[in-house]
Amino acid sequence: MNNALKISLRFFLFWIMQVLVFNQLEFGFGIHLMIYPLFVMLLPFDIGIFPLLLLGFGLGISIDAFSDTFGLHASSLLMMAYFRPIIFKFFAQREGYDPLKEPSLFDMGTRWYTLVYGSLLFIHHFWFFLIEIFRINELFWILQNTVLSIVFSFSVSLLILTLISRKSRSK
Amino acid sequence: MRKLIAFFERFRVFLFFAFLQILALSMYITYLSFPRLQFLTSANAISGQLYSWEHDLTKHFNLSDENSKLQDENIALQAKLPKSLFRLNNGIIKINDSIYRQQYEYIPGEVVNSTVTKRNNYFTINIGEKHGVKRLMGVYSPNGVVGVIHSTSEHYSIVKSVLTKDINIDVTIEPIGLFGLLKWDGRHPTRGNIAGISNDLKIPRGSKVLTRGGSGIFPKGLMVGTVDAVYAIEGEALWDVVITYSEEYRTLQRIYVIKNLMLEEQQQIEKGIPEDKEER
Repeated sequence: MNNALKISLRFFLFWIMQVLVFNQLEFGFGIHLMIYPLFVMLLPFDIGIFPLLLLGFGLGISIDAFSDTFGLHASSLLMMAYFRPIIFKFFAQREGYDPLKEPSLFDMGTRWYTLVYGSLLFIHHFWFFLIEIFRINELFWILQNTVLSIVFSFSVSLLILTLISRKSRSK
Repeated sequence: MRKLIAFFERFRVFLFFAFLQILALSMYITYLSFPRLQFLTSANAISGQLYSWEHDLTKHFNLSDENSKLQDENIALQAKLPKSLFRLNNGIIKINDSIYRQQYEYIPGEVVNSTVTKRNNYFTINIGEKHGVKRLMGVYSPNGVVGVIHSTSEHYSIVKSVLTKDINIDVTIEPIGLFGLLKWDGRHPTRGNIAGISNDLKIPRGSKVLTRGGSGIFPKGLMVGTVDAVYAIEGEALWDVVITYSEEYRTLQRIYVIKNLMLEEQQQIEKGIPEDKEER
């Protein structure tokens, strides 16, 4: 499929899913289910840093406009987009990344996906709750929110990943 | 000069990132305090419409609960009608009571979008300027106080609910009559706190918490909740009062916006208070 078309389709899909479905779910215990970081995760390996930051900011602000958070999602998704190349570099294999592959579970293997997506989700969620709560004496509550939400977001992202992505090429 | 250009060259990614980050954070902070740029909130036409469609789909799930709530309210109102009162004094007929004048009017509406798990929860309702809703009007449901109007558009409004950090509605604890400010600590959507209650008075569990009606936003005596627990705050002569809200905000649908017809009069006279100390 054409790359630009695929990205815009996914942009719309993640936006509508987050706004209409996952923002409406309430679990208690401070759990906030966010699946849209998967969009930034799944962008191609060879995407430039400026489009990456802009896409992250754009998706964040579109979700903000529909959930009365006024810039909170944009800020945290931007943070994650900025750290994506750094984390990718840190966990790179010896021969680097194949630009034809997709940074997903099926192309890169379970271990790589769990480590990379886990760290990116931690950056995103921790920043989100830090800015939202914004009190240093509630650090424990921030961490509890972060860890519980990561568990939920990661599992639901896995389900969505199996729906929208499959092995790009069978070698 | 060349060094400056080299600096920008080197850090251009970080500078771009910092620029966007500052943009997002400054927007977040300004919106929290004042709704200046309204087009980004969910009261705008597109998102309001979207949430109306969604609400049309999902509102029927709670229909039986909503109906019984309305029925309870009807029963309470029926009981106050003249036909359900027993006449004690035959022969005395009251005509057109001029002692009372209408002070509050109520505009009915429905909640079309709401959250309860965030630190600051805002509700979108399907009535707006066209129906006479203005900023800083009160909102309540048959079971309890809901919040204050935060911003409005033509057909929709956003309510700053009691589930926000600094909602600060003035309340009294009956039967003692203590005054305090309603707060929320962001933990549980059924529990709130009251700040500013000095600890020289005993507060029995289960005391009713009602609105005080001091700021003219709410009438006096609307239900807020009941006292659940009272803790001592270390190092301060204050109680930390935990209350249970009487309204279940997670299933809230029908609300009324309260319009105070005498608000201007009250504000006019309160202008005369000398400003020698800080006011809330």
